[in-house]
Amino acid sequence: MPIELPLPKSLSKARWKVKIQEKETREPPHVSILRGTDKWRINLRTGGFMDRRPKPSEVPDELLEVIREKGNWEWLCRQWDAKYPDNPVSSVQVKDDDEEHNSVDAT
Amino acid sequence: MTKNTILLTPRKRAKRFGALEPKAVSSRAQIRASLPEVGRDTLWISDDQGLVAQLLKSVHWPTRRLGRAVLLYKPPVETLAALADCFERIAFGSMGSFLPSEELAEVLAARNRGDLFIGGTVDRASETVSLWRGNLDSLVVPFSAFPPSGDKISPDFEDFAVTDYGHTIRLGNYEAAGDAILYELDPAYRRRKTKERLQSERTLGASIRRLRKQRGLRREDFAPLAAKTLARIEQGKVNSVHGKTLSTIAKVLGVEPAEIKTY
Repeated sequence: MPIELPLPKSLSKARWKVKIQEKETREPPHVSILRGTDKWRINLRTGGFMDRRPKPSEVPDELLEVIREKGNWEWLCRQWDAKYPDNPVSSVQVKDDDEEHNSVDAT
Repeated sequence: MTKNTILLTPRKRAKRFGALEPKAVSSRAQIRASLPEVGRDTLWISDDQGLVAQLLKSVHWPTRRLGRAVLLYKPPVETLAALADCFERIAFGSMGSFLPSEELAEVLAARNRGDLFIGGTVDRASETVSLWRGNLDSLVVPFSAFPPSGDKISPDFEDFAVTDYGHTIRLGNYEAAGDAILYELDPAYRRRKTKERLQSERTLGASIRRLRKQRGLRREDFAPLAAKTLARIEQGKVNSVHGKTLSTIAKVLGVEPAEIKTY
């Protein structure tokens, strides 16, 4: 089944979706936030936004809270790990050249 | 934003394409009246083969280009050459092979429409998926570009749809990220994304990292600053770096604190 985080009605009604998609083998573990023609990505290792555009500030705090809620976050990490066993969330190495550099703190 | 959209249909569907503010045209007389106003930036959308045939009859051949066209039906092979002469770009296929009308209009009107998909078709004989982008460019993707994922979900090529406002290529339960497809198969997209990533690295953290690498230093060389702290600064996870910390870093790097960001 497609991996989609169930959201409160107010958010899904406003067209927000949170998904883990297929074919993301070249990227660090992340969830995709979709709304209309815009897409944001949150790194599951650092919790930060991966891109500067669209602006992370356009994502409502209410949605970020749902994503970062402990149970939901762990569920998303488990789903990622199952989908991408070669690049699990827990495999982060604090080594120079393996790091991601463009994360943006969401807070 | 796409300027000058003409919706060529006998049905009352203009509301569904509201994002494009289209002009509805439903007769040969209206087609003729519209022709002097159309140009390269005109977008035609039609679900009616008969009206498109009327359009082809109304132009003077050899014709100037009338813009781009999205045809929500499969045009007969015999008209393809005429359509190709008439329009700079054409996307076509059965209605079901495109996004729903409202989403389609929003994608066609979007600033980032070239990075989103509007529809496509699956050809089992050649084992390819042909996708249309919002700028009407096409992209041919081999079946092999959709490998099964670790949770054993495989693409079902009998159940194809473009969903999520063009962000997702759905093949049964398999939902491929559109940007991952573009990154893999469109070199121009890949170059643009790399450039954007490099530009976004013009942060204090990225400058420190670049300088440290240039100097051949390890993070452990910045004592009393902990290597872990320096890693967080370089990764942009620290919102504001304390002046004293910045001085320590600058001293080891051999530059003035204010100069770091210029590297």
